[in-house]
Amino acid sequence: MSWRDAGPPAALVVIFVVFAALSSQFRSIDNVQNIMDAAAVLAVVTCGITFVLMMGSIDLSAAGVMGASALTVSLLVANNRNDNDLGILAIGVAVLVGAGFGCVSGLALVFLKVPSFMATLGVSAVGLGVATLMFAGVQPNISDAMLKSWAIERFLGFSHLTWIAAACLVVGWLIQRYTRLGRYAFAIGGAEEVLTLSGVRVQPYKIAVFTLAGAFYGLGGVMVTSQLGAGLVQAGDGYDFSAITAAVVGGTLLTGGRGGVLHSAVGVLLVVVLTNGLVQVGVSPYWQGGVQGLIVVAAVAAAVIPQRRRNQVVK
Amino acid sequence: MSTPVTTKPAAAPATVKGGPGPAQRLTSYMPLIALAVLLAALTIADPEFLTQRSLTAASRTAAPLIVLAAGATLVVLCGGIDLSIAALASVSTVFLALWLPELGALATPAVILVAAAIGALQGVAHVLLRIPSFIVTLGGMSIFSAVALVVSDAGTVRVVDDSTIAWLDLYVGGYVPMSLTVAVIVVVLISVVLKVTPLHSWISATGYSESAARLAGTPVDLVKIGAFCVSGACAGLAAVMLVSRQFSGSPTMADNLLLPAVAAIVVGGTAITGGHGSVWRSLAGALVVTLLRVGLPIVGVPSAYEQILYGAIIVAAVALTLDRSKVLIIK
Repeated sequence: MSWRDAGPPAALVVIFVVFAALSSQFRSIDNVQNIMDAAAVLAVVTCGITFVLMMGSIDLSAAGVMGASALTVSLLVANNRNDNDLGILAIGVAVLVGAGFGCVSGLALVFLKVPSFMATLGVSAVGLGVATLMFAGVQPNISDAMLKSWAIERFLGFSHLTWIAAACLVVGWLIQRYTRLGRYAFAIGGAEEVLTLSGVRVQPYKIAVFTLAGAFYGLGGVMVTSQLGAGLVQAGDGYDFSAITAAVVGGTLLTGGRGGVLHSAVGVLLVVVLTNGLVQVGVSPYWQGGVQGLIVVAAVAAAVIPQRRRNQVVK
Repeated sequence: MSTPVTTKPAAAPATVKGGPGPAQRLTSYMPLIALAVLLAALTIADPEFLTQRSLTAASRTAAPLIVLAAGATLVVLCGGIDLSIAALASVSTVFLALWLPELGALATPAVILVAAAIGALQGVAHVLLRIPSFIVTLGGMSIFSAVALVVSDAGTVRVVDDSTIAWLDLYVGGYVPMSLTVAVIVVVLISVVLKVTPLHSWISATGYSESAARLAGTPVDLVKIGAFCVSGACAGLAAVMLVSRQFSGSPTMADNLLLPAVAAIVVGGTAITGGHGSVWRSLAGALVVTLLRVGLPIVGVPSAYEQILYGAIIVAAVALTLDRSKVLIIK
């Protein structure tokens, strides 16, 4: 643990204490539960994007992938549009759909050599298009008991979604810490040339990382569907940017090679506590995106200050 | 141990090719070919399409897109990207709609100036703080959306008296929409200014090799800030065109123009890696994108495919126009 890693948790504590002092509403048990519930989907999406950022790439596809997976799951579980009732299998399919989109991003990056921000911008548009096709003008409302209960029922005070998010973070951390995929994602971000020269074929790992990220977005789309009780094309609106903000604020560098799932978890809490707290002290919720925009720019700027002299070329 | 030395001359070093290869030549005409093919296909699908009425309608929709793409092209030529153009145009429509009653005719230049200043501010943040341009503009995008929501209270702002911007709805010579004329004038203006000043070589140098450009004394930082400033001003002008057509401003009015604008730039053949390209290419690209947009319903394809098409086009066009010699590692 260096002082760099201690920054985000310290900021989280400070922000929490400040808001708790300002607003009695904020420090209530109910509100803490709200914060954790609001953080659940963002945590899952951020977990996925963290692996991509660790490689030094970027992923703007979350919104499109989540829309497609939300529509997939809502049309496959019990719903008002058709007679499907696949239950848990539908969730698996939706996650696979997400993984498929992620895989396409990875393939475009590796084989077509399209920079990731462009490839994922394209994939996001494709995902939204596919979602719109499935939506077909009639909103699918879900009636599947299990999926609906995820957002409502609580275990030890937190909704099932929060526990799913916690499980995802643990899985993400295990992948990052103990699998070749996780270690290579770090190494690709740190020094891709060195890795290539050492004889490692990085391409399959890059595709795998994007696929993994896509699977997390797919699950995120399912969780949003559970919250809304319906499949919407806009299920993932804003999550792509919020997830990047959360990861960056948590200490993951956009240049890659630093950060991780646990950093991102702190970042998610920072973003959610900040947005929740600002609303509690009376700031218009419309500012939410603006605040995230400011903190992402500030966090990236703060992260590059030590390397200012070294990096003369910034695109 | 000695081996007999043969006096065979070393293999001739790979000579630098004199001109572009056939593949490169093909991609450089890609936008024009695509434009011709699309026009032909649409005319076959619907003979009514090549009439003056529908062409006028199509070119009216193209105008804001052309302006947006032309401005952002300068940023791409410098090697960066501007993802904030659509959100900046949206917030500008709100400003224009709010300012028209008080400022009247002055509202138009005021909005363009403010948008230019905001663009320049993003450029300054990019250059001084050394933040990648896509992050600055992604952050800018969500800040502008937030400002637009707050200022407009998340609703549409009606324009009651549009007499001062109605001139954009006139037709030149009875057929050519004024907004298209203005868009083409903007493209001509940008390209002439680039041609007659050293700006063109400065921008290309920045895009092709920033370090070399710096060593050669190019004011790289100012060039980049200028590019973002022009991009912002173009977003402001596009907003004026949108308001004159829709008689209102709204915090999300231009948001769906981001993908078409990026698609227009890359379909035109401007390399996302910087240096290679021009605003003329983006003009052609914008026309291609507009034809696709207008053409899909004519051919009978549901509009949901529009998004899928944009996505596929962006990926394919970037893959074709990328300068592979420059980037060894693609992130």
